[in-house]
Amino acid sequence: MSVETRPVPRLMRGSIPHSLMLNRFPGLGTISLVALAFLYAPMLIVVAYSFNGGNQALIWQGFSLKWYGRVFTDASIISATKVSLQVAAIATVASTVLAVLYVLAMDRLSRAGSAISTAILAAPIVVPEVVMGVATLAFIRLIGLAPGFIPLVLAHTSFCVPFAMMNIRARYTGLNPAYFESAADLGATHWQVVRRVMLPLLMPGIISGALLAFVVSMDDFMISNFLASAGSTTLPIYIFGLIRKGVNPSVNVVATMLLILAVVVTAATTVLTRRQAKR
Amino acid sequence: MSSSGTLERRPPPDRTAPGKAASGPPALDRPGPKRAGGIRLGRRRPGAKPGQLSVGFAIPAILVGLTFTLGPIIVIGVFSFLSQPETGGGVVYQFSTEAYRHFLFQEDFLGNTHLDLRYLRSFGLSGLQALVTTVVCIGLAFPIALWMTTKTPRAQNLLVLVVTIPFWTNLLVRTYAWILLLSDRGTANSVLEMIGLEPRQLLYNSGATLVGLIYTFLPFAILPIYSSLAGFDFSLAEAAYDLGARKLGVVRRIIWPAAGGGVMSAVALCFVPAFGSFVQPVLLGGGKVLMVGNLIAAQYGEARNWPFGAALSVIILILTLLGAFGLLRWAKRSSQKVSLAI
Repeated sequence: MSVETRPVPRLMRGSIPHSLMLNRFPGLGTISLVALAFLYAPMLIVVAYSFNGGNQALIWQGFSLKWYGRVFTDASIISATKVSLQVAAIATVASTVLAVLYVLAMDRLSRAGSAISTAILAAPIVVPEVVMGVATLAFIRLIGLAPGFIPLVLAHTSFCVPFAMMNIRARYTGLNPAYFESAADLGATHWQVVRRVMLPLLMPGIISGALLAFVVSMDDFMISNFLASAGSTTLPIYIFGLIRKGVNPSVNVVATMLLILAVVVTAATTVLTRRQAKR
Repeated sequence: MSSSGTLERRPPPDRTAPGKAASGPPALDRPGPKRAGGIRLGRRRPGAKPGQLSVGFAIPAILVGLTFTLGPIIVIGVFSFLSQPETGGGVVYQFSTEAYRHFLFQEDFLGNTHLDLRYLRSFGLSGLQALVTTVVCIGLAFPIALWMTTKTPRAQNLLVLVVTIPFWTNLLVRTYAWILLLSDRGTANSVLEMIGLEPRQLLYNSGATLVGLIYTFLPFAILPIYSSLAGFDFSLAEAAYDLGARKLGVVRRIIWPAAGGGVMSAVALCFVPAFGSFVQPVLLGGGKVLMVGNLIAAQYGEARNWPFGAALSVIILILTLLGAFGLLRWAKRSSQKVSLAI
């Protein structure tokens, strides 16, 4: 997520400290803390229940790692995870490479060309997922592909591009062109500037873009659901089936793992983009 | 993400002055222009900076976008005007507007056509649910975003992280959390029992769907509003106080307008996906009420009416596009920065 935290404008000496703003709006803090609790409490309950020793998901019978053991040896979950990881790995690499090349070249497109192509690339974010899902299904049928691994990879690659792109683009626009001009002035060839100056400077953006692409691919249920075949069930599709039947101790564990993934990736991208802000 | 690229106002184009073009070599001889897909992509802007790649390197991404994003959208548009085979899914290549007629009319066994409002009602219901979700999310997100801006920069960074984590958490995980909370013997019912109330059926109704939708989209509302408020100079608010404004007046006339772009982004980011939502109505609502998302998915599953599903998708796409254009016009008129995807 490329929400920039802009520096808080410094107030002039003698004016009211910024933090006093809060006193002007009583209850603001309370509402916010309650809302943040609302955001986190449900997920923390899932994490807590993943350590439940009982056979029923909802009755607490003491701390145990039993269900972690079960999940890590469950053949269906393992194979679904494998499919998800394979699709996500390919889609991440492909979409990140495409995004880097596009970002480095987009300023040299004509104004209209750049606006149109950026809009097309960004469309998967704006178009409702269910529409994108059925549209992609219709499309792959039309070009003669059967649902399965390859359509999954193709679709994931294309909807990961905008997510990979946003951090790379943000990083790119924040770079000082003087770096590249001085490299060129010092005699670096065109490729040397790209490889030895641009790409290293872009790296935090590239890594965080790739991480987000990976999460988006790992998480996708809606589009994959239309494109997967029996042999290429992804993890979200598999757990959707489990959840549909109601609460399930295995789902608690899988959900906890996916939550950890989200925390790690979000923290990593935040650190990477923060470093950029400090520069 | 930078669909904002299309939305932000850019500095005026720095095209070569006509006089210069006349004196220099003819524009066609310059090594820039290349064509891809009929769109002239390669008008090289003067002074391409070192470190950039040539136009050709943008083509792979554009091709992927044209093929796997625009391609499917065009196909679904075409399919919506084709006919349904006698049995099974797929389409027959025969022009027909039956799919769109099916949206509003129904034919009975005698061949009489009459108005059928079932599907329109699904649209209305989905719209209403998306509207409530959006209003509640923005109602909560605005005070939270405002509160976040009153913190120290360090705390703000931390809070952004705290709000961003749910944003990137798997949708199924977040929805499942509410199943755990609301199920018959779940946490909410345990609490009810503890305070001496009868446990009740909390899951599988539209209230549960709504809670799930609000839960899902709250971070989508907080982040853009915070983003637009974060650069705001609050000494303006202080000045308003000094001039005798009251609290609500300051919020209404100073802070809310400053958050305008973020609020509009939040509206788009909450309303569109909530309108087409599938996971929450099925898992939390029990799939009892036919929402647009389930209706479309069903045409490619059990109902097997691909052209009708395509027609529904086209209607949603058109509504989304109209909304996006409306937003763009609003952004232009009020010179606010709106980003359609954070």
